[in-house]
Amino acid sequence: MAGQAAVRGGRVAAADACAAAVAAVEVTGAWLIAASGAEAGHLMRVTDEVSGLLAELQMTLGEGPGPDAVASGGPVLASDLGEGEAARRWPVFTPAARQAGAAAIFVFPLRIGVIRAGVMGLYRERPGPLNGSYLGDALVFADTATLLLLDAQDQAAGEAAARSGPGGQPTDLALHRAEIDQATGMLTEQLGVGIAEAFIRLRAYAYAHDRRLSDLARDIVERRLRLLPDPDPRQDGQA
Amino acid sequence: MDDQLLSETFVELTDTLVAGFDVIDFLHVLTDRSVQLLDVSAAGLLLADPRGELRVVAASSEAARLLELFQLQNDQGPCLDCFRTGRPVAAADLAAAAQRWPRFAPAARRAGFAAVQALPMRLREQVIGALNLFRADAGALAPPDVRVGQALADVATISLLHERSMRHSDTLNEQLQTALNSRVIIEQAKGKLAERLGVDMDQAFALLRDRARVSNRRLSDLAWAFVDGTEALTGPAASETRQPRPDSRPRS
Repeated sequence: MAGQAAVRGGRVAAADACAAAVAAVEVTGAWLIAASGAEAGHLMRVTDEVSGLLAELQMTLGEGPGPDAVASGGPVLASDLGEGEAARRWPVFTPAARQAGAAAIFVFPLRIGVIRAGVMGLYRERPGPLNGSYLGDALVFADTATLLLLDAQDQAAGEAAARSGPGGQPTDLALHRAEIDQATGMLTEQLGVGIAEAFIRLRAYAYAHDRRLSDLARDIVERRLRLLPDPDPRQDGQA
Repeated sequence: MDDQLLSETFVELTDTLVAGFDVIDFLHVLTDRSVQLLDVSAAGLLLADPRGELRVVAASSEAARLLELFQLQNDQGPCLDCFRTGRPVAAADLAAAAQRWPRFAPAARRAGFAAVQALPMRLREQVIGALNLFRADAGALAPPDVRVGQALADVATISLLHERSMRHSDTLNEQLQTALNSRVIIEQAKGKLAERLGVDMDQAFALLRDRARVSNRRLSDLAWAFVDGTEALTGPAASETRQPRPDSRPRS
């Protein structure tokens, strides 16, 4: 993804996940929709015309693997749109998608539990599942895109200058730790904010204090550390 | 072994065919049953996500020390060995296992366990996870218990595939990821509830689970609604034993 950003001449951003995924997992194209909460999202990136068409079809119809993925919270993997299953599930979308040139579609909700950042979709001109390690790779791209989108949301709220967060340098992707999720939940109460904001603040605090996210989360969960809301949210303090 | 309970457990499998089935709650029931039916004191179900990480989806206790033991096994331990080989892995005496698992064995002993058994969750050629059983006393799990334990692991696998196209790897992967994401939702809800009520994670989880049953909702749906703010869960109508906690008081 850094390579993609370099080509573009900018910092690593969520949109770079699309081109990187296409290169890495043998699909023809990708799209990225950013959406926080339940609102309809906006299309942030497409790698080709067909991706754009597929994304917009689903947003217009409200039908397709994308809407299903958002509803279920898990990926929707349609390895073969020519199989009866796809036409049954998405009677209007499927023929249109096939006509546009897609034979397989894989959609990943960009999500951390309740935190919703959007959707990433991949399509391929020939049918077949995401093989071997490709599914794992795609999920890594999805996770990275999720973190970058959350950082971008944070910055879009106008606090970028004062709180130069981890944006563009997502670390701590490695292992899922229950404590990070628990600490995020705890912070919604401690700081009186929504879950996405709580997560952003948790990461910002870790970055500002040069701490590993998992260690910080453990301190919070074990109640050695408590964050207090500050009138200036850029300066969340500790008790 | 309690034969009655054993029969009931397998009959409960038919619940997986019913609409509105709550797979996360079912997996928790299975881990509870493992402890009740087998000569073990703790159990956990771990699933491998496509990145190859072993992640807990259900455990007989939410105690941090137990969950830590599962987490550790991404690095080394019976579950990792079981997952990689697709075969049962056991240690009858963890005191003698320090060479085999130099970090896991002492950690398990510190947590009060003396023996461990891991049983694979298999779907045809694929190993999707493991059932991890811990004993407080040293000694191998008796063969009948191993057989029942394996059957419970198999039931867990089946419960993840309640869609009709079970042979489809698409479906399995979708279900796995959805289950793993549900777990994250539940962890977030645990944290929020634990903080609001000033209780520990175990108690918070028990409250969530009870409320889900009483209101006949999926555990992960209730957890979602609570985190999202659309479900109150606490307040005058809720738990009668706790007073609302004063705001922002520093805790030691």
